[in-house]
Amino acid sequence: MNNNQLSKPATGNSKWTKPAIAAGVVVIIAILPLLLTSPYTLHIFILTFIYTIAAVSLRTIITSGQFPLAHGAFMGVGAYGAAMIAKWLGWSPWLTIPLGGLIAMGIGMLIGYPFARLRALYYAMGSLFFGMAIIYVIWAGGSWTGGYSGLTGIPPLFPIGTSKVPYYYFFLGLAVVSFLALYRFEFSRIGINLKAIAQSHLVASSVGINEALYRVLAVGVGCFFAGLAGAGYAHYTLVLSGATFSFMATLWLVMYVLIGGVNSFIGPIIGTFILVLIPEFARDLKIYVPFISAGILLIVVYIMPQGLVSLPQLIRSKFFERGKSEKVTNAP
Amino acid sequence: MLLEISGLTKYFGGLAAVSQFDMHVNEGEIAGLIGPNGAGKTTLFNLVTGVLRPTRGKVMFDGNDITNKKPHQVAKLGIGRTFQLNPLFANFTVLQNVSASFHLHPRSSLLDIYFNTATYRNNEAYILEQSLEILKLVGLDGVKEELAKNLPHGYQKMLGIARALAVKPKLLLLDEPIAGMNPDEIDFTMTGIRKTRQQGTTIVVVEHNMRIMDLCDRVVVINFGKKITEGLPKEVRENQEVIQAYFGGEHVA
Amino acid sequence: MELAIATSTNFLILSSMYILVALGFAFLFNMLRILNLAHGAIYMVGGYIGLFIISTLGLNQWIALLLATLIIAAFGVFLEKFCFRPFVGDFNRVVMVCVAIAVILQTAVNIIAGTKALALPPFVEGVFKAGLVSVSYERIATFAIGAALLGVIIWFVNRTKWGQQMQAIAQDKDGAALQGINVHRISALASFIGCGLAALAGCLMGAYLRLGPYMGDLMLIKALILVILAGIGSISGIFVAGLVLGALDAALPVLIPGAASDAVTVSIVIILLLIRPQGFFGYEMEI
Repeated sequence: MNNNQLSKPATGNSKWTKPAIAAGVVVIIAILPLLLTSPYTLHIFILTFIYTIAAVSLRTIITSGQFPLAHGAFMGVGAYGAAMIAKWLGWSPWLTIPLGGLIAMGIGMLIGYPFARLRALYYAMGSLFFGMAIIYVIWAGGSWTGGYSGLTGIPPLFPIGTSKVPYYYFFLGLAVVSFLALYRFEFSRIGINLKAIAQSHLVASSVGINEALYRVLAVGVGCFFAGLAGAGYAHYTLVLSGATFSFMATLWLVMYVLIGGVNSFIGPIIGTFILVLIPEFARDLKIYVPFISAGILLIVVYIMPQGLVSLPQLIRSKFFERGKSEKVTNAP
Repeated sequence: MLLEISGLTKYFGGLAAVSQFDMHVNEGEIAGLIGPNGAGKTTLFNLVTGVLRPTRGKVMFDGNDITNKKPHQVAKLGIGRTFQLNPLFANFTVLQNVSASFHLHPRSSLLDIYFNTATYRNNEAYILEQSLEILKLVGLDGVKEELAKNLPHGYQKMLGIARALAVKPKLLLLDEPIAGMNPDEIDFTMTGIRKTRQQGTTIVVVEHNMRIMDLCDRVVVINFGKKITEGLPKEVRENQEVIQAYFGGEHVA
Repeated sequence: MELAIATSTNFLILSSMYILVALGFAFLFNMLRILNLAHGAIYMVGGYIGLFIISTLGLNQWIALLLATLIIAAFGVFLEKFCFRPFVGDFNRVVMVCVAIAVILQTAVNIIAGTKALALPPFVEGVFKAGLVSVSYERIATFAIGAALLGVIIWFVNRTKWGQQMQAIAQDKDGAALQGINVHRISALASFIGCGLAALAGCLMGAYLRLGPYMGDLMLIKALILVILAGIGSISGIFVAGLVLGALDAALPVLIPGAASDAVTVSIVIILLLIRPQGFFGYEMEI
């Protein structure tokens, strides 16, 4: 019997089906810049890649049974941390981007420790308030953070005047690497322990799983990638404002995860793509665009509450298989 | 003495759930803890395993003071337990429930786990093998791919016991292990408990069902958080006037 | 002296408004464990409907206030039946549906009214003067209405049959149902009152400050803070928490300029949450 059986998700027919599909998708996305040359389209995809990293890492924290509502703020920590170090200390963006991730991870774990003993709702609220505190600190930061008017003059990742294409590939690469790292995290015994804690913290601790340690670990890893995404964003858009990382940003990240499917690894990826790209295609509707997003939310709520990942299964069970019960699994 | 509880007291607000409780358990014995509903039996387990913090008192296990230790530390020292309401990893399969419980033995470091080293892979293979053995032992290997939440009640309780065994405990605390089981399952479980003791595990069983007394070397009676009496099963059974008063005359012989 | 008066009246008004909005939020949360993230948007829409009734239908402000409250209250009943009741217990779906509702309401207001600053005309004109003290009647009226309503709510929750049934449901929904309490009807009533209160607060604040499609976002946060500080299931805790938060929000900006005062306020809230997660008066809940 395959000795990694337990840490591998339930796959299709062969062990290689899902990785093959994933590789295929990456290749298609990689060729896109050759087909769609409009800088605006590339820009949208770049933002999507950035938000996807944040969304997937948000879900990583959720798998441990904690529902954080500060992820947008941690993107902000990474963004402002990296931007300020690059701008005021002159470090290269190639250094400050991972550094932004580390700063976010540090702050996340520092706060995660006292918060780890808060249950469910209280944890969610606590993280919400903490996220707000971060934004207020950014706004109160005077000339260091640019205060209300925002931070400008951030050193770019690639020299000024470069087209969007290198950024596209950079963020695509960053996203793929992040996903691989988070995937391994989830489907190794670490991830199993997190899911064990989420299902029953009593049982988990009775078999020796250090609840606090794993919760803080999950938060640390999740915040690292949020900070990484934020730092990348800073060295791409070159201008930052506290409002970008507010509670609303966090709420939308949560929507990306829930829309796609909170029980599936690729759920947040699908959710981000759908909720970012579809309103973009409907851009011509101008101020009516948010209705599209709201519509997507309502469709998922009323028709496929498990998220868009459950769509194939839903179609199958409605049209092809009668009387088969839906299993909730932890498969991607 | 493997486990020594002295003067253990727990107050919830003004109410004493457990009061000045003394008890010891010798290595290799099966001890029974009986008492009516609400007597404090589960609270006692929670205090010993660190789920609750005692207000006063001391708990010594295998030479270690575990009074204020956290549950995962207590597990690491060698105490395994089941729970009365039998929570499980509901969305894991039966096999996953047991293998996830092998967290402590063998222990892979975080780095080993993440980077999928040879140590980790060997450990995982060993864990898989051991999990299947335990499942075979408790008779659940036929349903190993079922989600735990879909199992019938009796099977779930077996799974709870299987899970506790994965900790390779020196001391096993069973909280109402046969509650809700049919007679065949009860026989099977009691045999299993005997076998486990034979393999060297010390066991404390909490139960209402008097049949458990047949298994026990010693029985301790608790009510209103206090120890009422203790002794051989025969003696305690004969102390029936006391017991009858607390049970109100209803018990399963 | 002027500053002290202004700060004090600010404190009273903020507290009463926060409490009004938070009460509505708390009704729904205590009873159905629904975290109505759209509550801020409902508060906002209440204010805009009030303005619409005044400016387009040309009616008197007080009538507008009443009508807006009733319309939104009715909307609350609709929401409870179709958007909340089906999803009780499923946190994910509730969050999604609330965000959808909030987005729909905010976008609709954005389209119809635009983002330009609008305000409701004051309910009471004139200024009250006595020696060194000078306060606009508007402020006094806002606070008076708020306080009066709060009194009514206290009476309602503690003295009427319905209020008691609400408390019963909040403590044990199934038990209450077994006692013959019609949970659906009481939930609808709670939503009716809750949304009505929010709309009323929206109109009052729309006159006191001004209207904006996103003014509800901040109110939602205040409501969340109050409910958490008060403790789940506690109505009286909301009063205490409202006074505390109102005091902080009125006094701190005077001492510490800018966003720093907000940072301090929210830090205090976090510390309180860590020390005592179940709030001032709430009971421990295993969620």
